[in-house]
Amino acid sequence: MKKFLLYIVKIFVVTALIAVFLDGLYTYIFMHSKNRGKIESVVNSEVQKYDVVILGSSRANNHFVSQMFQDKGIKTFNYGMSGGHLFEASLMLKLMIERKYQIKNVILEADLNLSNDKQSEGVSAKFLPFIHNSEVIKKHFEHEKDFNELHFIPFYRYIKYDSKIGFREMFKIVKKEETNALDNLGFYPLKKHKNGNMKNNIVSLNPLPHNKYYEEIKSICKKNNINFIAVMTPMCENVVGMNYFDKVKKAYPEIHNYENTVIEDKYFSSCGHMTDEGAKMFTARILKDFFKK
Amino acid sequence: MFFNSLAFAIFLPIVFFLYWFVFNKNKSTQNALLIVASYYFYSCWDWRFLFLLVFSTFLDYYTGIQIEKGKSEKSRKFWFWLSIIVNLGFLGIFKYYNFFAASFAEMFTSFGFKVSPVLLNVILPVGISFYTFHGLSYVIDIYYKRIKAEYNFVDYSLFVSYFPLLVAGPIERATHLLPQVKLKREFDLEKAKEGICQIVWGLVKKVVIADTCAVYANAIFDHYTSMNTFSLILGAIYFAFQIYGDFSGYSDIALGVSKLFGIDLLRNFNYPYFSRDIAEFWRRWHISLSSWFRDYLYIPLGGSKGGLWMKIRNTFIIFIVSGFWHGANWTYIVWGFINAVYFLPLLLSNSNRNNIDSVVLKWDLESLKTIFSILFTFLLTCIAWVFFRARTISDAFLYLRRIVTDWNFSLQYLDNERYNYEIIVMVGIFVLVEWFNRTKVEPISGKNSLLKIALAIMAIIAFGTYSDYKEFIYFQF
Repeated sequence: MKKFLLYIVKIFVVTALIAVFLDGLYTYIFMHSKNRGKIESVVNSEVQKYDVVILGSSRANNHFVSQMFQDKGIKTFNYGMSGGHLFEASLMLKLMIERKYQIKNVILEADLNLSNDKQSEGVSAKFLPFIHNSEVIKKHFEHEKDFNELHFIPFYRYIKYDSKIGFREMFKIVKKEETNALDNLGFYPLKKHKNGNMKNNIVSLNPLPHNKYYEEIKSICKKNNINFIAVMTPMCENVVGMNYFDKVKKAYPEIHNYENTVIEDKYFSSCGHMTDEGAKMFTARILKDFFKK
Repeated sequence: MFFNSLAFAIFLPIVFFLYWFVFNKNKSTQNALLIVASYYFYSCWDWRFLFLLVFSTFLDYYTGIQIEKGKSEKSRKFWFWLSIIVNLGFLGIFKYYNFFAASFAEMFTSFGFKVSPVLLNVILPVGISFYTFHGLSYVIDIYYKRIKAEYNFVDYSLFVSYFPLLVAGPIERATHLLPQVKLKREFDLEKAKEGICQIVWGLVKKVVIADTCAVYANAIFDHYTSMNTFSLILGAIYFAFQIYGDFSGYSDIALGVSKLFGIDLLRNFNYPYFSRDIAEFWRRWHISLSSWFRDYLYIPLGGSKGGLWMKIRNTFIIFIVSGFWHGANWTYIVWGFINAVYFLPLLLSNSNRNNIDSVVLKWDLESLKTIFSILFTFLLTCIAWVFFRARTISDAFLYLRRIVTDWNFSLQYLDNERYNYEIIVMVGIFVLVEWFNRTKVEPISGKNSLLKIALAIMAIIAFGTYSDYKEFIYFQF
């Protein structure tokens, strides 16, 4: 029996060593990834200077045409992340500050995402390879319930989120396979879909009165002398009359309501996402209102 | 509590420790502990069905004794049929009632009569098909005087409810398992090490092969109408490896866990995809079920001894019943029927036992023929698996029709944001590893086992699929 227990101990030691080795290997590879996503590109970047940084969910990613800012001589990048919540937007801004980015304006898409202050696991997972290399990431996750496992158990984070940061993703980095996340200065244009879902019931949705991460972004901007512009972006005709945007305005008077800048369904790919054409109309309005030179 | 869950990873060492260090005085204490552990294991799914398990155990225990004690043939027959009817009755109610009710209603509707059958809102108790078959074989063997009835209730209960085999087999025989539980088990280092190797290999099959293949197979089967020939062929292959990795992986873990307690279970899989014909495939796939049906259905029906029609009838009965055992759906019945069609020519030409020896390849023409036979058998198996996996029979036919009509072999991007070819290399490596170890129970034990364990663990950690977690397929049967 003693021999068997020794054998089991050996297996555990081997398993632990493998986990440590794989953790180091994966992290090393992620630390050298620059062209697969916005998060890696910020983590692994040098100092950058921006006139405008755009943050938010897919409703930022698909709605702010960065090139239109650039054409006006405003250096811009759209860091909106599809599926992301304010948890990730806030962390992204903190990372930029940690990497000593010099930013003049932050435009934050703050509307539907104000209704929760939880992480979006699919997006937040992509920060986790760097949890040991960035104090900001570590602190941001510190209050999450599985922080200890993610931080202290070697390779656990790569197992838990294997579809996001597991072997396939690691292998794609090694192969230097690019994504389109960084194309068009971070803006992802959408086309009109014949079967696009034009219904979105937001009647029962309520913005949190004090969204933790919205407030955090606001205070980071204040602390770093960054001009903070929060906007609500348009939605399709179906949501007209559902007073979610009014509720947001009431709770956060400083957020600019652009719900009705583009209304017609023909400018929408789905109810919450405008087409490229709609995005251009919306961006033109933002430029006119905030960056008129 | 799944074998690949954290709960089981905590449960197993606790039971192991108690078994060898606290309850190791004699076989009774060992058995008592294993029963308590088994009942706890089972209750983790749904404690209410524990009563069904206990009732089934008690029924077969009692009827077994009554059959043996029976003075007249009439009384023996009475207890025998009581056990058969109650056992099959439970199985029928929980597993098949809704299927029959709905099928009859459909049939009446097609004749113009509108019928609204009363359907039962019950869930299938996990493992019912397995423990019912344990009990049935025990009672049948006593009735035919092949074995003596077990008078020790604790020993008998362990035979029925032993946790490694309780929910998905292998389907044990009293002649094999009962003698083992009647003796005190002494710790055997080599057996325990073999058990660990088998558990690790089972996990590789489940987490690395089955669950990963499932991600691709599901994406292809669920959207088969938009898939091209190449994707559909890959979909069928992926499902073949999904179900093999899933079920044989479970069996490997079950056998490995049992070895840790000093108990050998029946081997359930023997590299079935290296079979040279369908008859050999069925001697290597789900061996405990195939042999159960052979001994308790096929042979009593006359087996292959009667005339031509008798042979044909018996072949179809055994395969269709075997298909139906898997689930109450016409797709399983058709799957069984197709296998009967595959098997019949071999039986009628007396070549169903041609490939008994293990496969040996040399650099000659005969070996080329062997490779072709293996690939052809695999092709036949994959076609049958399409029926097993498809939601309906017409889906299966449409799937197969699309393979031969679409004739487009381009690489497709699947709905789950993966390319359809991405895991071919992994499946290929898995096949090679199994091929070069086909004479062993599993590829890990033997020389350099610790190194092989390390590689297997690395594969489990790095290549396993965790986010698209799948429970074991055979739990639903």
